[in-house]
This record gives sequence, structure tokens and C-alpha cells, in this order.
Amino acid sequence: MADELTTILTSLGIPNEAFLGIIVLVLLIVGAVVVVIVSRPVLDIYPYLLPNAKVRARKGRLFDEKQFSEIIETDDYKEITNYLRGFPDYAKHLDDHSIEKSLDIQLGETYELLSRIAPDDVKKVFATLSKKSDIANIKSLIVSIEANLSKNETKKLLIPVGSLYPLCEQLVDSNTVEDIVAGLDGTEYSVILEDALREYSEKGMILPLESALDKYFLENLLSASSVPSDDNTRILHSYIGSQVDVANLKVIIRSKVDDLKYDNISPHIISNGYQVKEWKLKDLMESENVTSIVSGLEGTDYSPILSEALGTYNEVGSVSVFEKALDEYLVNYANSLSLKNPLGIGPIIGYINKKEKEIKNLKIIIRAKRENNLGIDDIQEMLV
Amino acid sequence: MVEIALGTALAAIGAGVAIGFAGLGSGLGQGIAAAGSVGAVAEDNDMFARGIIFTALPETQAIYGFLIAILLLVFSGLLGGGKGLDVTSGLVAVGVGASIGFAGLGSGMGQGIAAASSVGAVVEDNDMFARGIIFTALPETQAIYGFLIAILLMVFGGILG
Repeated sequence: MADELTTILTSLGIPNEAFLGIIVLVLLIVGAVVVVIVSRPVLDIYPYLLPNAKVRARKGRLFDEKQFSEIIETDDYKEITNYLRGFPDYAKHLDDHSIEKSLDIQLGETYELLSRIAPDDVKKVFATLSKKSDIANIKSLIVSIEANLSKNETKKLLIPVGSLYPLCEQLVDSNTVEDIVAGLDGTEYSVILEDALREYSEKGMILPLESALDKYFLENLLSASSVPSDDNTRILHSYIGSQVDVANLKVIIRSKVDDLKYDNISPHIISNGYQVKEWKLKDLMESENVTSIVSGLEGTDYSPILSEALGTYNEVGSVSVFEKALDEYLVNYANSLSLKNPLGIGPIIGYINKKEKEIKNLKIIIRAKRENNLGIDDIQEMLV
Repeated sequence: MVEIALGTALAAIGAGVAIGFAGLGSGLGQGIAAAGSVGAVAEDNDMFARGIIFTALPETQAIYGFLIAILLLVFSGLLGGGKGLDVTSGLVAVGVGASIGFAGLGSGMGQGIAAASSVGAVVEDNDMFARGIIFTALPETQAIYGFLIAILLMVFGGILG
């Protein structure tokens, strides 16, 4: 065969060196094609490897069901404080702050950590999410004016997390809401609050200010995730989008019960929803009652869960039934998203969802122990 | 300049392909596994030993490629000064290199991805270690197939023996 091959090469006028060159060239081309094809998934995965390992380590430290049962079975909230001292993530704040504030600090630090370690294509979303602490601090300042709290009491409300904390600490000295808004001049919140200030002055209620901050936060969050370019950003967009939808639906349902019109609530609505767009929200507000709103949502993911809650709502008559159903939907939806891309954004969404749920449930248990002295079964029913 | 027969030169290309692509797969796989392990160790110091184990697993593909490359170099006469190969055996040698090279590339990358994922699972739940090792070992089979075929090609293609 070797002779035949040599004969063929000679008859074609191809010298041995050229034949070798052709073989090398072919192998190089094949190799280059293979490398390009196989490196694409690696390039998608690579930015998420380090953040995912970090969040999965933290996810492993979250409380499991057994630990939650132990917390629920404690005698009072002081015992919960002692229990949390056994966990470094919470223990580091408990000496200096109240238990609720320690939980808020932990959550704020979690958002900040994610904004630091998130890959570039989703960093903007987590940077926006980390502003939750700033917004909470501004709200605390406004609430403290309304509630006539002393400077010390106001300071205790502030969460020492976020870029705006030093400024908020200075604004504790403000005597009016107008002073706070003026003090925030130069920050992104100044314009938002100035717009809402007129309504506050007219009605004397801080709700427009709080609502303006919430709306600004969710709109920013949605716009930060609004150009999905791959699976990771698509999943993140649907996670943020569903949060916006749930916030809108809560406003719509509550407003329908209070017999308000769309124009009354439009300043509180995030116009660019995910599954439920603005025109649909307007339609829903024209519904006769809450039952019609639920049937108007047919075709969306929210229809089955709200239909299921409708029976309980008819018995109890409280919209909190729908709010709890929507909150549980968010937790379950985020959980399903976290399983979709295990080498991409999935674990980050899974962690943030579980961390928020843990903090929310701890706060529910603490409040139940401190204020209501409720039984174990009652507390368990209240948990998300 | 040393005179090298065409068959021997082809075997040299085969050796390059064997270690080149297998090493590429192994390197990428190990890089992926190491990136996951570093994140895990940063959060939990106790993960160091287990991180090293998972990171070391995608090393095997490079070892297979290295072995095949050495065998090709020795039996083609490039190392040790033996008899050179004819053109047919040289072409077989290119096939030998491609067999372990490409199998090692896919296997190494796959193993690296599985290892990184397993490290994440173990750092979340210690009990996942044994199961993580099993899952991470699975993509090794492709490299073993490539290695076996490379050996068979060398034996029955007249390079070995």
C-alpha cells in the first residue's frame, strides 16, 4: 500500500514534504474547528464557576427544615438570638444590633456580595439589587419623621450597609421630609422623591414617597435585566420580571378591594410588566371584583395559584391570602429557575431566593414569638 | 540535518496530535475544575483536599495522550534510534494520535465541567462527595475508549510488535 501511495503521490507530482504539509494543514484546520466548537460552552460556563462555588457554599450553610423546627420550638425570641449566635453569618452582628437589624444587615451583605462576585453580563442586575438597603434606609428616615422618632431611635433603624449609609446617618438630624429629600440632592433618589413630595404635601401621607422608591427600584431592576442575550440573562429576566408582575398584581388586587380606579394607582404600577403588561393591568382594574381579576389572568402563570387561593379568600375575606399565594409562587418559581442552568445563573438565583426566604421566615418567627406568643402550628402556617 | 522517513514524520504528527489535543482537553477541564474548587475553598477551608481530588481527575486524559505519544515516538524510531516507519504505518500513527487526542479533548472538558459542578454540590452538602466522584468519573470512559483504540491501532497497524 505504501508503494501504491508513493506512486499516486509521484504521479500527481506531490513531493513527500508537500504531502506532510497537507496532512499537518488538514489536522490544524480540523483541530481549530474542534477547539472553536468545544470552547463556546466553556466560555459560557467559565465566568460562573467561581461565583457559583461561593454561593453554593453559602447555600449549604442556610437553615434546613430541622433547624427551622428547632427555632420555632424555642420559648421566646431571646432564645432565637442565642440560637443564631451559633452561626457565624448571623453571630457577627448580634452583639451590636437587635436581632431584626442583624437579619437585615445579613441580607444587605448578601446583596453586596452578589453584586461583587456576579459575572459581568448580570452584574448590573445585582448592583441594582444591592441598592435595596439604601432604599430601606431612606424609607426608615421618612418613617421616623412621620413617627416622631428621636435621632437615636432613627439611627437604630438604619442598616449599616450600602453606599448611601454614611449620608443617611447624617440625615438623621433632619426635621422634615423635605429636609431629607434636600439632603439626598445629587443622588439618584432625589428626583424621584421630589416628584412624590407634592403628593405627600397634599395628602400628608408618606405612602407616595415609599411607593415612588419601590417603583423606582423595581423599574431599575427590570431595565437592568431587559436585554436578554443568552440563557443566563433570559432566566434572570424572567426572575426579575415575575417579581415585578407580583408587585403589580398585589397593588391591583388590593386596589380593587378598596374600590380604587386605575388612575389612582397608576403612579404605583410598573408599566413594563413581564407576563402582565400595562394594557392588561388596565383591563384587570376594570374588572367587577377580585374574582373577575383572577379569571382575567387566565393564560398566565398566576391564574392557577390565584384561582386556588380564591376559595380561601371567599371564606376569610382578606387579600393577604392572595399576597401569600403570590409570595409562595415567587419562591417556587425561583426554585424552578435555579434548576434550569446549574452551571450558569441557576445557583445564584437559588441562593438569593433561599436566603430571602430564610430571613423572611426568621422575621415571622421572631415577631410571632415577641408579639403574639403563637403556637408552633400557627407559626408554621405563617411561614413562606 | 537528520534524514527522517515519511512514515516516521507522520508518526511524529500523530504523537503531537495525541498529546496536543488530549492535553488541551485536560488543561481546559482542570482549569474549569480548579476555578470551581478555588471558589469552594475560599468559602470553606476544609474543601481544599476534596477540591484537589476533583481538580486532579481531568489529569488522566493528558497522561493517556502522553503515553501514546511516547509509544509512537519510540516505535517510530524517533526515540531510541530504531527502524523508521513506512508511509502506511505513519498514516496509522496519525489515526492513533487522533484517536486519543480528540477523545481526550472531549473527555477532559466534560470531566472538568462535572468536577466543577460536583465541587459545588460537595461544598453545599458534604454527603455528596462519593456521588460527585462517581458522576465526575463517568466522562473518563470516552478517553479510555480512545486510548484502547489507539493501542489496538498500534498493535494491528504494525507499529507495536
